[in-house]
Amino acid sequence: MSKITRTLVRRRLLLLLLAGITITFILMIRLGYVQFALGGWLTEEAEDSWSRDLPFEAERGEILDRNGEVLATNVSAPSVLVVPRQIVNPAESAAQLAEILEAEEQEIYEQITESSSIVRINPAGRKIEQERASKVRAQRLPGVYIVEDNKRHYPQGEHLAHVLGFAGIDNQGLTGLEKYYDERLQGQSGYVSFFSDAQGQRLPDMADQYEAPQNGMDVRLTINDQVQTIMERELDIAEASYNPDGALAIAMDPDNGEILGMSSRPHFNPDNYQAVSPEIYNQNRPIWATYEPGSTFKIITLASALEEEEVDLDEDRFHDPGYIEVAGQRLRCWKKGGHGDQTFLEVVQNSCNPGFVALGERLGTERLFDYIHQFGFGEQTGIDMDGEGTGILFDEENVGPLERSTTAFGQGVSVTPIQQVAAVAAAVNGGTLYQPYVAKDWLDPDSGLVVDSQTPIEKRDIISEDTSAEVRRALEHVVAQGTGSGAFVDGYRVGGKTGTAQKAQGGRYLENNHIVSFIGFAPADDPEIVVYVAVDNPKDTMQFGGVVAAPIVGEIIEDSLQAMDVPKRDNQVEKELTWSDVPYLDVPDVTGLTLRELHDANYPLNIEVSGEGEEIYRQSPAAGERVEEGSTIRLYMGDKSTASD
Amino acid sequence: MRENKQTIDGILLFSICALLIIGVIMVYSASAAWGEYRFSDPFYFAKRQLLFAGVGCLGMVFMMRIGYWTWRHYVITSLIVCFTLLIVVLIPGVGLIRGGAQSWIGIGAFSIQPSEFMKLGMILFLAHWLASRQQQVASFRTGMLPLLAIIFAAFALIMLQPDLGTGAVMVVTSFIMLFIAGARKSHFALLGAVGAAGFVGLIASAPYRMDRIMSFFDPWSDPLGSGFQIIQSLYAIGPGGLFGMGFGESRQKYFYLPEPQTDFIFAVIAEEGGFIAGIVVILLFGIIMWRGIRTALLSPDLFGTLLAIGIVGMFFVQVLINIGVVIGLFPVTGITLPLLSYGGSSLTLMLIALGLLLNISAHTRIT
Repeated sequence: MSKITRTLVRRRLLLLLLAGITITFILMIRLGYVQFALGGWLTEEAEDSWSRDLPFEAERGEILDRNGEVLATNVSAPSVLVVPRQIVNPAESAAQLAEILEAEEQEIYEQITESSSIVRINPAGRKIEQERASKVRAQRLPGVYIVEDNKRHYPQGEHLAHVLGFAGIDNQGLTGLEKYYDERLQGQSGYVSFFSDAQGQRLPDMADQYEAPQNGMDVRLTINDQVQTIMERELDIAEASYNPDGALAIAMDPDNGEILGMSSRPHFNPDNYQAVSPEIYNQNRPIWATYEPGSTFKIITLASALEEEEVDLDEDRFHDPGYIEVAGQRLRCWKKGGHGDQTFLEVVQNSCNPGFVALGERLGTERLFDYIHQFGFGEQTGIDMDGEGTGILFDEENVGPLERSTTAFGQGVSVTPIQQVAAVAAAVNGGTLYQPYVAKDWLDPDSGLVVDSQTPIEKRDIISEDTSAEVRRALEHVVAQGTGSGAFVDGYRVGGKTGTAQKAQGGRYLENNHIVSFIGFAPADDPEIVVYVAVDNPKDTMQFGGVVAAPIVGEIIEDSLQAMDVPKRDNQVEKELTWSDVPYLDVPDVTGLTLRELHDANYPLNIEVSGEGEEIYRQSPAAGERVEEGSTIRLYMGDKSTASD
Repeated sequence: MRENKQTIDGILLFSICALLIIGVIMVYSASAAWGEYRFSDPFYFAKRQLLFAGVGCLGMVFMMRIGYWTWRHYVITSLIVCFTLLIVVLIPGVGLIRGGAQSWIGIGAFSIQPSEFMKLGMILFLAHWLASRQQQVASFRTGMLPLLAIIFAAFALIMLQPDLGTGAVMVVTSFIMLFIAGARKSHFALLGAVGAAGFVGLIASAPYRMDRIMSFFDPWSDPLGSGFQIIQSLYAIGPGGLFGMGFGESRQKYFYLPEPQTDFIFAVIAEEGGFIAGIVVILLFGIIMWRGIRTALLSPDLFGTLLAIGIVGMFFVQVLINIGVVIGLFPVTGITLPLLSYGGSSLTLMLIALGLLLNISAHTRIT
């Protein structure tokens, strides 16, 4: 080996050594980079890949009425779970499960032989009845387990069905409040996670982590279950009596926009929503339906004219010949021949169309439409439910005298029931428009404490307190002495307005097919409730709101106010009696009298006597209460000595 | 040329033994779960590794005791044997297929990998040839071309298995030896160009190689497919931190890492022993590299120099590729980590080669 070669080899070897040392350092630096710079992130990722989560379902929040009555809750419904690796005889197990669960054997077989660690038998084995679960348990099939699960239950059945909506098989809200507030009701599911090897076996010496589920919040609604029950009962009767195409009712507290009751017909049972077509459960008519309001809309015209001081109800007079000429067209009053000469209070009482055309004329297009918008028509009320309608108003640009005139008495516009309720509430509550709402308080499911509350949402002040009082007076007269007499409730000072809307189809009005409605409130001195009822195309009756809808509203108001402990008033506008009306009288004090003395007094009442003794020592109803003539009063007999005990 | 009777390089021997012991222990830790799962014996792999280490040590001691120049007589014979084995392993029904490559000959556990033998056979052959014809190495036609033909023939046979990792180690080792022997730089430039073209061709010929390279740049683009091994390896190393999870506490060895006791043993070491253990192991490899090159430098003859650099080159190239893969510097390639990875042929042959190196170290000149 030459000297030159030796030097070359030596130089190249040293070069190689340098390269080797450099590589050694690069390896060490890279190792440090992975372990320190990337270490944190890699550790998190690795822990994710090691951990296996077993979900713990959160319990869905309950829905309660304003007094705590349960409207939607959860009931235990077990599910069948299978660990395929533990199944001994798949064919036989599938056959037995299929028989109990009433499912296809092939389908079950495929599910229990899946290459997965845990399989839920779906859908046949999900949320099944307890009996079925016991049968499965009794088979003692290896690898087949029954686990606790729960499903939604609506204890009130059809009541409030559209408002509540329903939740699906995975406890997810599908319609109604269940959907609108799904996120809050749902809660957050928890899990147990354990570290596992790549084959799913538990790793030794690693602690389990438990993340408790966060149950969904309970919600307390503004709904009063008693009012709701009364409302549903009345609509049941109406449906039985008139066989209508549909019906709806809303009750609201005019002082804050809280919905007290809401019903839509046809209705359904949320526990069994599959039994009806989606059209039925998707259409919550009280907020969804839009139609011509008819005369109920006159309340808006009236309130506007009063606020603008364009009319004095008692002093100003109007002559109705049965029609009014507007822009060369004759607009007819509903009464043939007209109402003749009348005060404007009587115009309201009689629901006289030409009279309202005159009010509209006094206001002018601009002011009338400004009020209509102010009262919330033409926009959604913003109620906390999905599927609210908007309604249609005339485009103000195109409003001529004719359009203004029909609008003034509620034709040619289209509104939703909830808009009318909110607007009328504003007209009678002192002039403030509130946003209607249903969800009132959110409660922590464990402590029951209120976590979040919805306070009344004031939108705007529209008319003065004085104007509002005048509107109430006029509408009380409508019920006591006018077209709304069917809604009269003795002592509760009901005010209101009828409506008979023509249904349009293909640009024409239908013959003998109306939506008859009535909107009422009570008591007129300080309204506690506004109730709106509409019946779509009632059969075998005169299709007038006063005939069909007003009595329903009267019943709802009477029973509801009693349920709400609202005291009766004694300074009402007395009812103008017709031949069919029965007079009222104050119950006399008869205690201390003998039966003979009572007979001599000759009260127009039936009596029912119970107990032994000479004298009446107690009576029901008490003295001073108002009852219809011919009512029965109950008398309890006793001796003076016993009475003094 | 003067020879002195000396003892073998103690530092080199110590480093080899230290790594060998670490290897057996870590093979146990890394393979316990797999051994339990597949053979109901957590010691299954460890026991066999101990056996391989024993056989390998016998081989090493044997090589240490025989003057390295003795082997010059058997160079041609061993090369022919190695080529024969490489051809035999390709015969259908004779070669055993494991992990997609037909690389083994033998029955069950007692099987050998001809390509491992070829690595050593090629080193011996090149050292002998280059030492005898040193002057010709500067000539392309008479010096380089015949050698390149032989190297390429061996590489082609290995690629037919296919085993790119072993083939690449053999080629790179051969080039290191050519470089040390004094081959011209211009020839290397040419070889580099040809090699790059061949590399591209090889990648194009097998789509899985392209996947591996792509997954190297972004393993998370296909975490359950081509990126799986890199990701699992990083999941082992990352949580290791400075001191590691502790011996036996690896989680990734529980079936997340595909073969924790062979190609990814370093990942388990860095997971259980942390950065400290990783550095110790890399340093031990570095020391062997240093003492090996030192042995080459001080070797009394060119054959010894080339033999030493061939052995240490093969050794360190495998270290670089294996650890590089495990810590995410290289795309996944099936290369064992010398002295640490589980494996019969690779461990015994590596120990035999190191025995040879130790023998050379015993004959170094005093400078």
